[in-house]
Amino acid sequence: MPTFAASSHLLNPTLTHSLSSRRRFPSSSQNPKPLTSLKCHLSSSSSSSSPSDPPTSDCLSVKPLNPSPLLDSIPKSLASAAAAASFAILLRFSPIGGGGGGGGNGFGGGGGGGGGDGSGGGFWERLFSSPAAIADEQQNPEWDSHGLPANIVVQLNKLSGFKKYKLSEILFFDRRRWTTVGTEDSFFEMVSLRPGGIYTKAQLQKELETLATCGMFEKVDMEGKTKPDGTLSLTISFTESTWQSADKFRCINVGLMPQTKPIEMDPDMTDKEKLEYYRSQEKDYRRRIDRARPCMLPMSVHREILQMLRDQGKVSARLLQKIRDRVQKWYHDEGYACAQVVNFGNLNTKEVVCEVVEGDITQLVIQFQDKLGNVVEGNTQTPVIRRELPKQLRQSHVFNIEAGKQALRNINSLALFSNIEVNPRPDEKNEGGIIVEIKLKELEQKQAEVSTEWSIVPGRGGRPTLASLQPGGTVSFEHRNIKGLNRSILGSVTTSNFFNPQDDLAFKLEYVHPYLDGVTNPRNRTLRASCFNSRKLSPVFTGGPGVDEVPPIWVDRAGLKANITENFTRQSKFTYGLVMEEVTTRDESSHISPYGQRVLPSGGISADGPPTTLSGTGIDRLAFLQANITRDNTKYVNGAIVGQRNVFQLDQGLGIGSNFPFFNRHQLTCTGFIQLKQVEEGAGKPPPPVLVLHGHYGGCVGDLPSYDAFTLGGPYSVRGYNMGELGAARNILELAAELRIPVKNTHMYVFAEHGNDLGSSKLVKGNPTEVYRRMGHGSSYGLGAKFGLVRAEYAVDHNSGTGSLFLRFGERF
Amino acid sequence: MASQLIREWTGIQQFPAATQTKLLELLGKLKQENVSTLTILVMGKGGIGKSSTVNSIIGERAVAVSAFQSEIPRPVMVSRSTAGFTLNVIDTPGLIEGGYVNDQTLENIKRFLVNKTIDILLYVDRLDTYRVDNLDKQVVKAVTESFGKEIWKRALVVLTHAQLLPPDGLEYDVFFTGRSEALLKVVRSGAKIKKQDTWGDAIPVALVENSGRCNKNENIEKVLPCGTAWIPNLVKTITEVALNGSKPILVNKKLIEGPNPDRRWKEFIPLVFAFQYFFIIKPLQRAIKNDMARETRPAWELRDTGLSSRKF
Repeated sequence: MPTFAASSHLLNPTLTHSLSSRRRFPSSSQNPKPLTSLKCHLSSSSSSSSPSDPPTSDCLSVKPLNPSPLLDSIPKSLASAAAAASFAILLRFSPIGGGGGGGGNGFGGGGGGGGGDGSGGGFWERLFSSPAAIADEQQNPEWDSHGLPANIVVQLNKLSGFKKYKLSEILFFDRRRWTTVGTEDSFFEMVSLRPGGIYTKAQLQKELETLATCGMFEKVDMEGKTKPDGTLSLTISFTESTWQSADKFRCINVGLMPQTKPIEMDPDMTDKEKLEYYRSQEKDYRRRIDRARPCMLPMSVHREILQMLRDQGKVSARLLQKIRDRVQKWYHDEGYACAQVVNFGNLNTKEVVCEVVEGDITQLVIQFQDKLGNVVEGNTQTPVIRRELPKQLRQSHVFNIEAGKQALRNINSLALFSNIEVNPRPDEKNEGGIIVEIKLKELEQKQAEVSTEWSIVPGRGGRPTLASLQPGGTVSFEHRNIKGLNRSILGSVTTSNFFNPQDDLAFKLEYVHPYLDGVTNPRNRTLRASCFNSRKLSPVFTGGPGVDEVPPIWVDRAGLKANITENFTRQSKFTYGLVMEEVTTRDESSHISPYGQRVLPSGGISADGPPTTLSGTGIDRLAFLQANITRDNTKYVNGAIVGQRNVFQLDQGLGIGSNFPFFNRHQLTCTGFIQLKQVEEGAGKPPPPVLVLHGHYGGCVGDLPSYDAFTLGGPYSVRGYNMGELGAARNILELAAELRIPVKNTHMYVFAEHGNDLGSSKLVKGNPTEVYRRMGHGSSYGLGAKFGLVRAEYAVDHNSGTGSLFLRFGERF
Repeated sequence: MASQLIREWTGIQQFPAATQTKLLELLGKLKQENVSTLTILVMGKGGIGKSSTVNSIIGERAVAVSAFQSEIPRPVMVSRSTAGFTLNVIDTPGLIEGGYVNDQTLENIKRFLVNKTIDILLYVDRLDTYRVDNLDKQVVKAVTESFGKEIWKRALVVLTHAQLLPPDGLEYDVFFTGRSEALLKVVRSGAKIKKQDTWGDAIPVALVENSGRCNKNENIEKVLPCGTAWIPNLVKTITEVALNGSKPILVNKKLIEGPNPDRRWKEFIPLVFAFQYFFIIKPLQRAIKNDMARETRPAWELRDTGLSSRKF
C-alpha cells in the first residue's frame, strides 16, 4: 500500500478484540445493535469484595433484599458474569476507538467507526452488521453449491454474486514467512469468517476490504478452492505490515480529545503538495501528542514494552498487537475496564506512540426506577447517594471497576434500595467519555408487621388447658428514609401474652437521624434517640461452685436514650449521649426485691442478701452520660483477623436520680491480633497464625449499685466458668491470650485466661461475691476449633481443675 | 432482747462473802471513774465454755449450757444491775463450724451488736489445748475484721478449764505462760497488731475454771491451782482493762459494713473524668486519625487522576 507510506502511521487494533469476543459468543451477534442492548448483571454484595473478584465487569448490581441465597450464588454468578462482562465491556466500549482513528497520517485502519449508534456507514457498523446477516442466514440452512469442478482455485471476484457459499475451511497464508499459519495466530482473530459459515460474495468482499484497511496487512488476498462437496476452501494470503524499528515508546491519553478529521487527499496533488500535506499532518500529530494528557501506565510496563521493541527489531503488526494486549491487560488488571488502546501513531519513526482512551467519566447520573424498571423520581435525595460514592467515580476521574464496586457496597450499606446497578456507558457526545449510571430501586418507605405465636403453658396439674393458651407476638412498624434523608423511625412491641401484656412487654421505639451536620458535610454523625426496655438475669446474684441454687434476680431497665455517633471509619467510631433509665429488680415471681436472697444452711430462704439497688427500694431512677470510643483497625488477611481494637466505655453519673447517684464507671478493652507470619495475600491462600492478646479493665468510682457491678466468668469474660461464677466486683481485670493456628479452611486455638477482682469484691455493697461463696478470681485454659460460626472448645476451670466441653456461637474477641 | 428488762443482780449474793466484797469494791472503783455500765462481749470458738463463763460471772444460770452441743444459735445479752451499776454480758455462739469461720454466725453477731457499745471483749479459749492452729488465727481475724483492731485494746484473753495437771510434769506456771504466749502471738498476728504497738503485748490473760469440782479456798471461793480466787481476779482484770484509757467500741452500721465503698474517692470523680477525657479518649481519637492516614488504599484510589476543573 504505497499510498500510506507516510512518515508516521496509525493503526487501529481494537478490531481484534471485538471480533474474538463475537466469536466466543455468537448468539449475541444476532442482535443487530449489540452496543446498546447487551447487558450483563454481575450480582455482587458487600461480601463479594474479596480481592479475587475478576475486575472485568462493567455493570454491577445488587439485590440486597434476600442476602442469604445471594451469598451462595455469588461465586457462580461472579464467574459466569465475569466471562460475559469482559465481552460486554469490549463490545460496548469499542466504538471509543472509532471515529476517524485513522486520522491523517495513518492507515485509516479503524477509520470511520463512528460513535456506535450514530454515525452510520462506518467500519464498525459494517463489522457488526455482517455477522448479523450471517445469523439471519443461519436460520435458513440452505446454501448453494459452487457449481464448479472440484479442486480448482477461484479468485474472489470470479465468484457468483447470487450464490450463498459455504466455507468448509479457512486457511491463512503468510506470504512473508511462506507458511500457512494456524488458528492460534493472533491474526486469525481478526477475521470474522468462520469455517462452516455461509457467506455471499459481497460479504466476502467486505471482509477482504476490512482486512485490507485495518492496517495490519500490507496486502491481503482471498481465493477459494472448490471442494467436491460443493463447499469452498478459503485461503487468505497476506503480507504483514512492518515499519522501521523503534527504540522509544510513548503512551498518551487521548481520551476526550476531539479526533482529527482526515483531510481528503486530492489524488491530483503534486509531489510538493503531497510533501506539504504530509508535513502538516505530521505537525498536527505532534500537536496532538503534546496536548494529550499523560497516561497512568507505570514505568515497569513501559520498560517491558521497550524490551519487546528492542527484541523484535522491526516493528510488525504482530508486535503492535502484542503491545496493545500488554497495555490493555495492565489497564484491565488494574480495574480500568473502559480503557482501550485506540491507535498506534508515529510509526516509521524511532518512536511508537500508543494512544489510549482510559475511560474518563464525563457524567454521573443517578436514576431511580420503579418495580418495572421505569425511570421515576426517587424519594431519596441525591446528596445521600453522592456522599457514598468514592471520589474516583465522580466526573473527570477515570472509571475504575473497583470504585464501582466500592460505590455499590457503600450504597448497599444504606439499606434503602432493593436493587442497585452501577453501570458505565459510553458518552455519545464526548469521544472516549464514560457516563456512569447508578440505577436504584427504592424499598418501600413504610412497613408494618405483625407476627403472632401461641404458647401453651402447662396449667394446673401440668395439663394444658384452654385458659393456658397464650397468644403472643410482635407488632413492629418502620418508617424509613423520611424526607429522603435516610431518617427513620422504627418501633416494636413484643409480648408473650396479649391478654396480660404488662407481664412481659418488651418495646422499642427508635428514631435515627443521620447526617447531623448536613448531608453535604463530610463529617458523618448520626443522632439516635430511643425508648427501650429490657429484662436480664443479673449475673451478680449467681452462686459460686458448689453453691446449689441462688434465687435469681431479674433486672428490668426501661428508659430513654439519646446519643450521637460519629463514624470515623467503618469500624472506628465515637458515641456519646445521655441515658435516663429506671431500673427495677425483681425476684423469680416478678416481685420487686430490694435485697438479694440467699439460702440459709437450714434450707430456708432469707431476703437479707446484698442490696440490689442504690435506693434500697428495688427501684432506681438515674441519669448518666454514656460515651464509647472504639478504635478498630483490624482487617482480614486471608480470612484471619489481624490488627488492633481498643474500646473505652464510660458511664458518668450526674447525681440525678434516686439517692443522687454520682459515679464514674469505666471500661477499657484492648485486643491485639498479632500476625505471626507474613503470608501472601490472595484467595485460597492459607491464613497466617495469629496471636490474640486481650486485656479488659473495668472500674467504678462512686455509687455502684449491684446491677452495675462488673462480673467475672462467662464466655466473654473467663471461659470455662458460668456467667458471674467468679464474682462481682468494683474493679476487675481480665487477661487472655489465644493462639490461632490455621488448619485447612478453619483454625484451631489454644487459650489461657484469667480474671481478677483486684480485691474489690468487698467494695460492692453487701459483698455479693462472698455472700454467694465465689472466689473473686480464677483462671482457665483450654483448646478449641472453629467450624464456621460455631466454636467447639474444651476449657479447664483452674479453680476446680475440671474441664468441660462448650459449643459457642460467634467470636470471643 | 435489747429491750429486755434489766434485772437486779441477785446472783452476786450467791458468791462467797469474800468474793462479794472484792466485787463490790471493784464496782465502786468503776463508779468512781464514772463508769456505770459495763458491756462485755464474749467470743471464741465453739464448746470452750463461753456460756459457762458468763454464768460464772453472773453467778446464776442465765444462759443455757449443754455439755455436748451449742445451745445458743444467736447472741444473748444478760443484763444485771446492782447498786446503780449495770453489767451487760453478751454471750455469742461459737464462731467455728465445720472447720471454717461461720460467716452467718458472725453476721448475726454483728447485727445483734448494732448500736451497742462494747467495753470489754473476752476472747475465750481453753487452757488445756496444747497447740494453736490456723483456726485460732481465723477467729481472731474475723473478730478484727468485724470490729476493728482497736477492740484488742479492750480485750482479755480468757483461758477456761484452768484446773488441770500440766502434761509431762511441767510446772503449772510454765505451762500457763507457754499457752498464753502462743495464744497472744496468734492474736497479735491475726489482728495484724504491729510489733511497735506495745499495747499488743499488754493484752491480759485471765484464767477461769467453771467446773463445780473446782477447788475452793478457805472462803469457799473458787481458786485456781495457783491459789488465786479466779472470779475476783477476772473482774479485777476486767476493771483494769476498762480503765486503761482506751475508748470503748461503738458498734454501728459503718463499723459492720466497713466504710461505705461508694463514698471512696467520690470527690475525685471530676478529676477521674478529666483524666479519662485527656488521657484515654483524646489519644484514642488521635490513634484513629493515624489509622485513617495509614490505611492501605487500593492502587486505583491512589492513582486517582482527576482532570482538575475540566469541563465537559
